Amino acid sequence: MPRRVYTPRKQELPLKGDNTSIFLQVMISIAVFIFAITLSGVLSINSMLYNWNRSILGSLTVQIMPVNSANKEKAAAETLAYQEKAVEFLKTVDGIVKVTPLQDEQLKKLIQPWLGDGVNIDNLPMPRIIDIKLAPDADIDFAQVAQNLAQASPQASLDNHKLWLNKLIQFADGLKLIAMTILILVTGITSGAIFYTTQMSLGLHKNIIEILHIMGAKDTYVAQQYAKRMAFLGGSGGIIGLFFSFPVIFFIGSLARQIEGGIISEANLSFGDWLVVCSLPLFSLTISMTTAYYTVKKTLQKML
Amino acid sequence: MEKYREPETIIEMQNVGIRYDQGPEILSDIKLSLKKGSFHFLTGKSGAGKTSLLSMMYLQQRPSRGSISVFGKNINFTHRDGLAMLRRRIGVVFQDFRLLDHLSAFDNVALPLRVCGMDEREVRKRVTELLNWVELSRHMQDTTATLSGGEKQRIAIARAVINRPELLLADEPTGNVDNDIAPKLMKLFVELNKLGTTVVIATHSDKLINDFAYPQLHLQNRSLHIHYPSEISRLGGRHA
Repeated sequence: MPRRVYTPRKQELPLKGDNTSIFLQVMISIAVFIFAITLSGVLSINSMLYNWNRSILGSLTVQIMPVNSANKEKAAAETLAYQEKAVEFLKTVDGIVKVTPLQDEQLKKLIQPWLGDGVNIDNLPMPRIIDIKLAPDADIDFAQVAQNLAQASPQASLDNHKLWLNKLIQFADGLKLIAMTILILVTGITSGAIFYTTQMSLGLHKNIIEILHIMGAKDTYVAQQYAKRMAFLGGSGGIIGLFFSFPVIFFIGSLARQIEGGIISEANLSFGDWLVVCSLPLFSLTISMTTAYYTVKKTLQKML
Repeated sequence: MEKYREPETIIEMQNVGIRYDQGPEILSDIKLSLKKGSFHFLTGKSGAGKTSLLSMMYLQQRPSRGSISVFGKNINFTHRDGLAMLRRRIGVVFQDFRLLDHLSAFDNVALPLRVCGMDEREVRKRVTELLNWVELSRHMQDTTATLSGGEKQRIAIARAVINRPELLLADEPTGNVDNDIAPKLMKLFVELNKLGTTVVIATHSDKLINDFAYPQLHLQNRSLHIHYPSEISRLGGRHA
C-alpha cells in the first residue's frame, strides 16, 4: 500500500541555506537601526520647527528695559510705569488682539534656566516683558509700530522673533538635510547589497533555475521565490534593527528633556511619528522584496 | 474522398548551426521537420552533437545561425514568457537526470505541474498515480539524493511525462534502468506517442533501435541524416 503522507511543499530554490542570508539579515538590521534613529531625529526636528512656528507665529514680544537707578524701588516703579504706557499704546494698534504683561513669577521662571539656581534673581534689575497676540489676518508695519512704541514708552523695544527664528530654522534645515542624506545612503547601500547578493545567489542556483525554466517556469515564478525569501529577511531584519533602536531613541530623548526651558525639549515625537518609525520593518520588507524581485527579473532576461 | 491533411509540424529547423564561443561549429546546416505524432531515435557517436540538438529543441539554447520554429513559433521572435509557455508543452528526460536533490521524489515529479500553477489537489492525484505506475510510491517522500540511479531515472521520466507533453525529448532514458524496467518505460513512450505525443529519444542502444522500428535522426560529421526502418535493417541496425 503506497504511503500517502504528504510533507509540506518545499521551495524549489533552497534559498534558506544561502550563506548570504545571515549577512543580509544583519545588514538590514543595522540599516534599520541607523534609519530609525536618523528618522526619529528628522521627525523631532520637524516637530520642533512646528512648535516654534506655532508658538511664535501671530505673537510679538515687547521688552521694557529696567530703569537704572540707585533707588531700586523707584527704578522698579518707573519701569512699571513705562510698561503701563507701552500697554496703553499697544492696545490702540490695529491687528493686536491681546496684550499681556508677564508677572514677576513668570519672568523669574523664564530667566532661571539661563542663570542657574545659585543666583538670587530678586537682586537683579529685571526687564518687563509684554506678550502680544496678533489677529490671524493682521497686517502690521512692524517698523512703524516699533518707532511709535519707542515714542510712547522710551524704554520699550519690539521683538518679532523673526531674526533668531530664521537662523534656527536654517540650522534645523541643515540638520534635516544631513539626516535625509544619511537615509538615502542607507537605503541605497542596503538595496545595493540586496542586488549583489541576489545576483550571487542566482549564480549559485543557476542549475536549478535552468531546470525550472525547462519545465516551463516564467521568470516571475523564480522572482517570486526570491521576493518571498527577501521579504522575510527584510521584515525580520527590520524588526531586529527597530528593537535595538528604541533604547537609543529614548536615551537621546531623555538627554533632550534634561535641557529645561530650552529649544530641544520642544522636539517630541508625536503618535503619528512613532507610527512612521515603527513601520520601518514594513519599509525594509518592501525594499528587500522589490529589489530582489526586479534583480531576478533583470538578470534572467540574459538567459534564454 | 477525404482530403489528406499534412500533420502539424512540431519542430522546424532551417540551416541551423551551433558553436560554443569562438569554437568550430558542432552542428552545421541542420534541416529538420518533425511532424506531430512522429517517433524518432536520435543517434550518433559521443560528441556528435545529440545533446546540443536536443537542447535547442527544448529551447535551452539558441542556434548560432539559422532559425528554429517550435509549435509553429519562431523562437527568435518569441517573448520570454512565450518561450516558457512553449516549454510547458515539452517533456525532457536528461541523461544525468537533473533532479533537484534537495526535494522529495514527489516534489520533483510535481514540478512541471506546479510551475503551471495547477491546483495542489490535482497535483497530488496525478503525481501519486504516476509514481505508483513507475513503482516508486514507497519513495514518494524520500529526497532524490537517496535514490539509486535507476530510481532517479524513473523519477526523471515521470517528471517529463506528468504534464502529458506534446513533445517528449529523452536523452538515453533507459541507460540506467534495469532490463525489466526498460521495456516498461519504452512502452510508456510508445503509448504516449499513440496518444499524439511526438517523441525523440537519443540513444546508443542497438537493442532499442532494433526492437522498435522507428526512423533515426543520425548525426554524423556535423550533419543530420534521416534513416527509415527499412534502410536501417539493410544497414544492419546501426550507423557507425
